[in-house]
Amino acid sequence: MKTIKLQSSDGKIFDCDLAVAKCSGTIRTMLEDLEIDESSEDEIIPLPNVDGRILRKVIEYCNYHKDDPTPIATDNDDNKEKRTDDIISWDAEFLKVDQGTLFEIILAANYLDIANLLDVSCKTVANMLKNKTPDEIRKEFNIKNDFTPMEEEQVRRENTWCEEK
Amino acid sequence: MMNYNINQNQLKIARNNDKYENSPQSHQLITTLNGSVTTSQTLSTTAAAFNNNINSSVSNNNNNVISSEDEISKKLPKEILLRILSYLDVVSLCRCAQVSKYWNILALDGSNWQKIDLFYFQLDIEGPVIENISQRCGGFLKYLSLKGCQSVGDKSIRTLAQHCRNIEHLDLTECKKISDAATDPLSKHCSKLTAISLESCSQITDLSLKALSDGCPNILEINVSWCNLISENGIEALARGCNKIKKFSSKGCKKVNDAALNALANFCPKIEVLNLHSCDTITDQSIRNISMHCPNLRQLCVSKCSEFTDQTLIALANYNPLLSTLEVAGCHQFTDIGFQSLGKNCKYLERMDLEECSQITDATLAHLATGCPSLEKLTLSHCELITDDGIRQLAAGSCAAESLSVLELDNCPLITDATLEHLTSCHNLQRIELYDCQLISRNAIRKLRAVLPNIKVHAYFAPVTPPVGGIVAGPGRPRYCRCCEIL
Repeated sequence: MKTIKLQSSDGKIFDCDLAVAKCSGTIRTMLEDLEIDESSEDEIIPLPNVDGRILRKVIEYCNYHKDDPTPIATDNDDNKEKRTDDIISWDAEFLKVDQGTLFEIILAANYLDIANLLDVSCKTVANMLKNKTPDEIRKEFNIKNDFTPMEEEQVRRENTWCEEK
Repeated sequence: MMNYNINQNQLKIARNNDKYENSPQSHQLITTLNGSVTTSQTLSTTAAAFNNNINSSVSNNNNNVISSEDEISKKLPKEILLRILSYLDVVSLCRCAQVSKYWNILALDGSNWQKIDLFYFQLDIEGPVIENISQRCGGFLKYLSLKGCQSVGDKSIRTLAQHCRNIEHLDLTECKKISDAATDPLSKHCSKLTAISLESCSQITDLSLKALSDGCPNILEINVSWCNLISENGIEALARGCNKIKKFSSKGCKKVNDAALNALANFCPKIEVLNLHSCDTITDQSIRNISMHCPNLRQLCVSKCSEFTDQTLIALANYNPLLSTLEVAGCHQFTDIGFQSLGKNCKYLERMDLEECSQITDATLAHLATGCPSLEKLTLSHCELITDDGIRQLAAGSCAAESLSVLELDNCPLITDATLEHLTSCHNLQRIELYDCQLISRNAIRKLRAVLPNIKVHAYFAPVTPPVGGIVAGPGRPRYCRCCEIL
C-alpha cells in the first residue's frame, strides 16, 4: 500500500498509509491540490499546526478508524439528537489522556478536519462538564471564579430555574 | 531536482494553510447561526483567536503540566468551546453559566439555545425565566416548547416575541394563563412562525386567530384544541390569512361548525391533517367540501362527530385517495356502504378507528380486507355486529400477512375462539384487545400465543361465580389468565 510522509511542527516525519492520511479532510484537499496520488513518490506533507506527540495520537486514531463508513453529512443539524453516551470503548480508552493533550487533540482534529475525532473528543469534554455544580466545573478545569459576590448571586438567581427544588 | 520539487510543494501548502486554518468549523458556525451580524463579528475575532491559539499551543507543547490555570479557555477557541457546549442539556448549560464571566458568555450564547424544551421544568418555569431566556436567545431561538408551563403569562410571551423574531415552532399547550394579549405580539414580530400550539389555552378567542392570520402567513401547523371560545369567525379569518396550513386541530371546539370548515376548505387547499374530534355539529356538507378542495388530505379524525352519514365516507373515497388515517369513533350512522367505497379507493389506509360504528357488519371487514393492503391498526371496539366470519375475511385479506399489527376487538360480543384461530395467519400482529369478548376462552388465547409468541393479549376473565374454593381455584394459584397483560 502507498504510504506518504507527514511532517509535524517539530520536524518529526511519520510514515502513514495514504488511506489513513485521507481520514483528514485537510490532507485530502492538500493531496488533491498538489496532485499527489498512488504514483507520486516520497512526498512530504508538512503539518505546521500539529506537533509530533499529537500527530502520533491522531495517526493512531485514524489507523483504527480508517475503514469506518464516512459519516453522512447531515444537512439537518437542528434535528440531530445530541448524545454524549455513545462513545465506543476504544475511543474512550484512546482519549484517557491529560486535559492538555485532550485539548491539543481537539485542535488537531479541527485543523486536520477529522470529523469523528473532533466529535468524540468534544463529547468527552462535554461529559466532563455534565452533572457537575459550577464549583465542581471550576475545580475540574481549574477555572478562576471572577464574579464579584454580587454578580455571582445574580447569575445564580438567573439560572436556578432548572435545578430541582 | 527532488529538493526543488518539495520546496515548491511546501510553498504551495504554506499558502494553502491560510485557507485551512479557518477550518470547516467556521463554515458550519456561519450556516447554523444564520449569519446574524453579531456572530459574524465574533466569528472573525474567534478566527483570529483561533490562529493565535494554535501558535501558542504549538510553542507550548512541551510544558505538559497538568491542567494549568484555565487551560481549557486559553487553549480552545470560542467556536470549539461552543461546539462542546452544544452537547449539553439546559441544566448543564445553566450551571456552566455560573462558572466565570467568560463561561457565562459562552453558555448563554444563543447558538446553544436554538431549540428549547421546558416541558420537564414546567412547574418551575415562571415569567422571569422566559424573559431571561428570550434575551439570551434572541434571534437564535427557533424552537420553544413551553408545554405545561402554567405560570407563563402574556407578559412573558410578549418579551419572547420581541426578542426572538426568528422563532418557527412554539408550543404553548396548557399555558392556561395566556390570552389574546399573547398572540398579538407574536403576530407583530414573529412572521416566521410555522407551527403553533395553543391547545387547552382556554382564554384564547377568535381575536388570536385574527392576529395570527394578519402577521403569521407562514403557519403550516396550528392546534387550537379545547380552546372553547374559538368559533367560525376566528377560523375563517385564520384560513384567509394562512393559506399554507397543512395541519389543523380543533378537538373539542364545539363552536367549530360547517361554516368554519367551509372556510378552511376554500382557503387552505394544502391541508393534510385535520383533527375535528368532538366538533359535533359538523355535517357531511362541509367535510365533502374539505374532501373536494384538499386532495392531499391524509389524516382525518372526526370521532364523536355523530352527524355524519355514509356521504362523508363516499366523498373521502372519491376525492382523497391518499388517506392513511381515519378516525371515526362514535360516527354511528356509518354503514357497510360507506366503507365499501373506502375499501375500493383508499388503498393507502394504515390506521382506522371504527369504535362504536355500531351498524357495520362483516361486509365492512371484507371490503377493507380486499382494498387496504397497508392496514396496520384497526379498532373495532363496540362494533357489536362483527362475527368470526368478518375476522376470517380480514385474516385472509391483503393486509393480514405483513401489515396488520394492532387489532382492537373489545366488546365485540359475537366473536368466538374461531376468531383467534383465523388470526394465526396475521404474522405481524403485536397486540390484540379482547376485553369483554365473553365467548373467547383462555385456551384459545394460549393457542394463539403458541403461534405468535410476541403478541400482547389484553383480556379479562371474571372469576368464576360463585367462587368455589378448592378444586378449581386452589390457594396460591392465579385467578386470572396468565397471558393477560393488564388485569
